[in-house]
Amino acid sequence: MVRKAAPLSAHAHKDPVFKKITLPAIFAILAYGFWVSPDFKEIAAGVAIFLFGMLSLEEGFKAFIGGVLERLLRRTTDKLWKSLSFGVVSTTLMQSSSLVSVITISFLSAGLIPLLAGVGIIFGANLGTTTGAWLVAGFGLKVNISAYAMPMLVFGILLIFQKSKGLKGWGYILSGLGFLFLGIHYMKEGFEAFKDTIDLTAYAVEGYPGVFLFALIGLAATVVMQSSHATLVLIITALAARQITYENALALAIGSNIGTTITAIIGSLGSNVDGRRLAGAHLIFNLVTAIVAIGMIYQLTHWVGVLSAWLGIQNDDYALKLAVFHTVFNLLGILLMLPFINIMVRFLQRVIKPRVRSIAQPRHLHAATIELPDAAIEAVRLETLHLYDNASSIIAAGLSLHLSEILSGRPIDEIVAKARKPMTFDIDENYNESVKELYGEIVRFISRAQSTMSPEQSEELFVLRAAGRDIVEAIKDTKHLHKNLSYYMVSENEEIRKEYDQIRSSLATVLRKLDEVRQQGSDSSTILSLDALKVAMREYDRDLDKRLNTLIRDDLISAAMSISLMNDSGYAYDVTKSLVRMGEAFFSTGEINVREAERSIALDKGEIDEVLQQSDNSKPNSKP
Amino acid sequence: MNIQKLLEKAESFLNADERKRKEKRKHLKHVIKKLKKHEKSLVNQLDSEVDPAIRDELEKEITLAHAHRKKGLKVLKQLKKDKKSLPQSIEI
Repeated sequence: MVRKAAPLSAHAHKDPVFKKITLPAIFAILAYGFWVSPDFKEIAAGVAIFLFGMLSLEEGFKAFIGGVLERLLRRTTDKLWKSLSFGVVSTTLMQSSSLVSVITISFLSAGLIPLLAGVGIIFGANLGTTTGAWLVAGFGLKVNISAYAMPMLVFGILLIFQKSKGLKGWGYILSGLGFLFLGIHYMKEGFEAFKDTIDLTAYAVEGYPGVFLFALIGLAATVVMQSSHATLVLIITALAARQITYENALALAIGSNIGTTITAIIGSLGSNVDGRRLAGAHLIFNLVTAIVAIGMIYQLTHWVGVLSAWLGIQNDDYALKLAVFHTVFNLLGILLMLPFINIMVRFLQRVIKPRVRSIAQPRHLHAATIELPDAAIEAVRLETLHLYDNASSIIAAGLSLHLSEILSGRPIDEIVAKARKPMTFDIDENYNESVKELYGEIVRFISRAQSTMSPEQSEELFVLRAAGRDIVEAIKDTKHLHKNLSYYMVSENEEIRKEYDQIRSSLATVLRKLDEVRQQGSDSSTILSLDALKVAMREYDRDLDKRLNTLIRDDLISAAMSISLMNDSGYAYDVTKSLVRMGEAFFSTGEINVREAERSIALDKGEIDEVLQQSDNSKPNSKP
Repeated sequence: MNIQKLLEKAESFLNADERKRKEKRKHLKHVIKKLKKHEKSLVNQLDSEVDPAIRDELEKEITLAHAHRKKGLKVLKQLKKDKKSLPQSIEI
């Protein structure tokens, strides 16, 4: 399995001194090896080509990670057996448990799947990855696979040159497979040639010291190559060329299984608490499996021999027997761990706790989600909802009301009538503390995530970013409103007090309705019902015009008051408009296409006026 | 199926704009269907409601749902029109 370094914070955790020494050391060892032995060069080139094939394969599958995978994940992860099967099948098809873990961590970080489902997928992926050994041992070594590799590469590259994202994806998959085959071919050839000059089996170590030593070598090789798949292919080709003993090969396979968790841990560094818990589950699973496998290695070897004979595998076909062993010991791990999966999840939840964050810090924007468009979009949506939570408290305080009271079931007019004391509240300071920085983080995340997205997905992010700006605008309008509102809500003039209370009631109703729609979920008619708030605000604006005439004519309010009221009702209308637009963009949890359809039929200003006109006409006492 | 129809099918599959337009139509139809259902349920509620204040609210909601549906049908019609103006070349 291959891992690409995770962006963002994952880099921050690497030790630069260690990194500086490791890479030149590996280069030096390899260069010396190439100088000493051309056969070693061939084997190493085979591994490099193989790894390049894995990267290409992952790139290809990423082209298809869109709505389909998200729907599949949501549908197949409601039960544990489904999560397990998803892990097995997806890893078997994509031949990369790394890609499956990256996807799982991303979806987990974005809150699209629960931890238990994530653990189930990882367990399944451990079994799915064993099919790789079967393919190489059963097919790769038996036929001349380089003959298949050549046409695959040619057709693959031709497809990569195409404009269509789908065809490009197929191109990467085809050329990826071509490179995998070519890599296996070179490894095979290298080991065949190698055995004429050096007999590596002379270095074989028998008994338990050998088991531990080779398990360590397998672990180190997997950490260096960041791919258990590559280690396994290397083991199988070496075993087929009789360059390592069967016993030592089994220990290497066990070691590579532990090594693969290191890459998962590195991947989880950029994710949230659930991502880290998942890496913990992965580590526990592979460690327990390895300990059991090492402890029972001789019994396991015996059972593998019996099973291989039953499957018709020849006694000296060690490559296939290794594939049987790999499957058996991973299956054993699943059988051992499955009854304790709930206990393990609870244990991880207790041990790995979320980092304490201030309200201004992002909660859903993680490096692990940035590479997968669907997860990135969901993360932006959730983070902007967090931004809205912070903003709605500021807006409520701007109205001299408490958000908790607005969201309680009590009548709004009653709440407004009782809250008579203006709140001394610095909107600017609160905006800088809990909104500005967070919005900045969202915008930064969006600009980074956009690079891997299709035009439709970029468009969706554009809409989400614009809606985030609406939240900021709503705060700014509240700030303008706040000064006069605090002044007139305690005015001795009853008429102006009533007018400002009405503004407070209207905006409190907007906040309450938005909360209701958010709780009710994703039904299109619920989301579009937010337009009723725009209608209500327009109606208020129109009625205010009529009332203002009377108030001024009858000398009930001063000219200065009337101008303030006109300006402030305008701000209140703008706050409503911004918040409704934000709600229409964020509260819908349906697919991108459904959200786009909903937005396309949300009403504009002219259409709102038409609705208002129709409502007036339908009233029995309305005048023509 | 004759060769002409087969070519048309292949063209619509390979033409990205046409595929996108079809997707849009499909999802818009889905939303309109939901709105129709919602409007119907509101009308039923109105029939059995006696409180004038609630009746007034329901009437407003019905007018709004109807306006959304009307706009949806208009957008749908426009998408149908767009089919005729799409370029006929095959895009690979």
